Amino acid sequence: MVTEGRPSVAAGSSGSGVAAGADHRSAHAARRSDWFLSRANLGVLIDVLHEDGRTVIGPTVVDNAIVYDELQSVADLPVGLGDEQAPGHYRIVERGDQRAFGFTVGPISPKRWLFPSPLSVNVGSRDGRSVAFDRVPNDPPKLAFLGVRACELAAMGIHDRVLLGGPYTDEDYRARRENALVIAVNCTAAGATCFCTSMGTGPEARDGFDLALTELDDGFVVQVGSPAGADLVARLPVRAADTEQASSAAEAVARVAQEIGDPVPIAGLHDRLLAQFDSPEWARIAERCLSCANCTMVCPTCFCNTIIQQSALDGQTSTSERIWDSCFTAGFARVAGGNFRSRPRDRYRQWLTHKFATWVDQFDSFGCVGCGRCITWCPVGIDVRAELQAIAPPLAPRPEPTKPRPVAAAPGSYVTGRVMAVHQETVDVTTLTVGALDDPFLAGEPGQFAMVDLPSFPQLPISISRYGRDTVDFTIRAAGPATAALTGLGPGDELGLRGPLGAPWPIERAMVHDVVIVTGGIGLAPLRPLIDALLAQRDRFDAIRLYYGARTPGDQLYREELRGWAARGDMEVELTVDRADDTWTGPVGVVTHLFDRTTWEGSRSLAFVCGPERMMEATVDELYARGLAPDRIFVTLERHMQCGIGLCGHCQMGRLFVCRDGPVFALSDLGDIFGREGI
Amino acid sequence: MTSPDSRPTFDPVSELSSSWFGTGLSPEAVSRLASIAELRDIAPETELTREGQITEDLAIVLTGRVALRTLVPERGMVTILTVEPGDIVGWSAMVPPHRATSTSIAIEPVRALMLNGDQLRKLLRGDHALAASFYPRVLQAVARRLTATRLQLLDLFAREEWSRREIEPW
Repeated sequence: MVTEGRPSVAAGSSGSGVAAGADHRSAHAARRSDWFLSRANLGVLIDVLHEDGRTVIGPTVVDNAIVYDELQSVADLPVGLGDEQAPGHYRIVERGDQRAFGFTVGPISPKRWLFPSPLSVNVGSRDGRSVAFDRVPNDPPKLAFLGVRACELAAMGIHDRVLLGGPYTDEDYRARRENALVIAVNCTAAGATCFCTSMGTGPEARDGFDLALTELDDGFVVQVGSPAGADLVARLPVRAADTEQASSAAEAVARVAQEIGDPVPIAGLHDRLLAQFDSPEWARIAERCLSCANCTMVCPTCFCNTIIQQSALDGQTSTSERIWDSCFTAGFARVAGGNFRSRPRDRYRQWLTHKFATWVDQFDSFGCVGCGRCITWCPVGIDVRAELQAIAPPLAPRPEPTKPRPVAAAPGSYVTGRVMAVHQETVDVTTLTVGALDDPFLAGEPGQFAMVDLPSFPQLPISISRYGRDTVDFTIRAAGPATAALTGLGPGDELGLRGPLGAPWPIERAMVHDVVIVTGGIGLAPLRPLIDALLAQRDRFDAIRLYYGARTPGDQLYREELRGWAARGDMEVELTVDRADDTWTGPVGVVTHLFDRTTWEGSRSLAFVCGPERMMEATVDELYARGLAPDRIFVTLERHMQCGIGLCGHCQMGRLFVCRDGPVFALSDLGDIFGREGI
Repeated sequence: MTSPDSRPTFDPVSELSSSWFGTGLSPEAVSRLASIAELRDIAPETELTREGQITEDLAIVLTGRVALRTLVPERGMVTILTVEPGDIVGWSAMVPPHRATSTSIAIEPVRALMLNGDQLRKLLRGDHALAASFYPRVLQAVARRLTATRLQLLDLFAREEWSRREIEPW
């Protein structure tokens, strides 16, 4: 029962090439030949699965909740039990019948097995100056999920698009997914927090299963959804379902749909929500929200994750483990310079707008399947259905989605590089020149970054500050243990690298234009390869102007080169500092001070800007005043980039993943999220 | 053509109208102002204004650099901003009580157009069209100074400020 004319998370766009039999897992083909399995024979199904060497994951009672766990036999099923759910409320109740699936969904979803936490990713080790990263082989268990609901099937479909839809993929997930058999159960009981009907995902399982059961008083109507499902049915004591059984099953599911109704009208929801960045409702919700992350932990689609290091005591080896993370945690959006979403209201806004708006831009579906877990398991009972109604009234025009740009590195795989030279730029900033690199690494472009890894430390995204003939430079400020360890490396030391990643500065767009480069502090580092590239083909560009601000004269990077560029005569180099010392007779003041009285023509210029965000905002205002259009101003953004390829979720900024879609953006691509607090 | 002392001929109208400050003024306003302007070459280390003292002249900097400094106990004179060519020094000459808000010192040889405060105020009182052209430009310059000072106040590159607030993950 797909409702015409509105997006549906389950609506078949499984272009991700998931499980081996995924293409065949369509209910429609098998619909004509439903089977009937008597209640007494349900145990046979479990036995057959066990015979196949599968671990059966199905519903059972643990800690006063019906959750997925390993089933030994049919006796483990919650026979005769239902559940009572409401915002912030869950109780198991006696049904007074023999139904095995007479409940809705509990706090645990198949995500626990398909996208487990923790998951060992690699083991890093250090031997003298050498480093090594060994991948942990994934050997996924052979699973059979029993009792998977339509909303959960839709959630798997969403994970397929996120984790396997490319350009990068999660191979561990793929292996687990391909190794799992899915036996769905159509819902015949409605929960008070369910809204699958609104999200277009249930209560009827339509595809993505091998078998689907609908429970009647005396047994189960069985639909086949895949060749594997057909093989299974052939080994079960089933008979053809009669018309009455088939229609009772259909009626039971239809009753549930009717009971749930349409609590979240989704027409125009994407646009309605994105028009409400400044709604006072966010602050109102934040008065109740505890930022506890329960909603994201129980969510079957939330995929944000982080890599932690389990380090041996000697510091020589460490295991990288992937664990679930949440956009509600305090550290989720934190970078060395601060926290982009320090307030609970910003985190709630991030979560809600992602689920119901920007997820659509990223993955062509909502990130919510309407299972209602986030409502039931919210300790203060925040009801997402009510909040959506309160926050998102009239329609606003939809911004153009930004296309993901190509990047060039496989996830999880590292190359090593060796430090060839070290140059101390300032008191706390060091440039490492790294060589012994694979050729593809050297083929990067100005503005791209690399994930840099030393065993026992978190991986860090570091801009490439120069491409040499067979080396790259990284200019790093020692701001914490990991950066201190990196800046402490000496010639001959190795380090792990992935990349170059991210979108580069669009140099080709600057040809036959004037180029304006405005930067501050360590922001000059990602611009240096751009300057190198401009000067390498100097006659293809008109005027080149560099405006560079630093805190003090001693904080200027690349001082020799700045002098050299200024001495060339074909490039304007203007420097300013915030704090002068006795030796400084140049300008004092913010970097815009260097060009706010100049007379050059902005409409002939392209601007490249990098620095603290507040500096970039002031710069952009001044560039606008000089006549530069937003599609000619490029900024590079700093966010909490962790995976570097758009799969971990940390660096989200509205509909964008900064690591994958950026870090270089045209202002026109950022629209009104540039400079907005809490995004 | 050069003057007897071999300095280039000084044309206050063209000097003023090609400066940032003058580009925002009408040609009539420029020529009225030029009529009371005096060109001055100022040696490095010369004070143009002193914090708290009466400002006699409004200066439009044509070349060179002027530092705006303020006295901080135990730190001495701290440069808050520099004034670059095209901008003005001594706007306090236009606003009662005419006391300078910072000490301004030439840190390079400076050439400036000096407008005497008394004369200028008298001129503006008698010529409302000139005042209507002149004051917005002064206000624009002062507003820009204010913005620049605010941004300086943010100390955007100061990492110590951040790390005190939160424990850094790296």
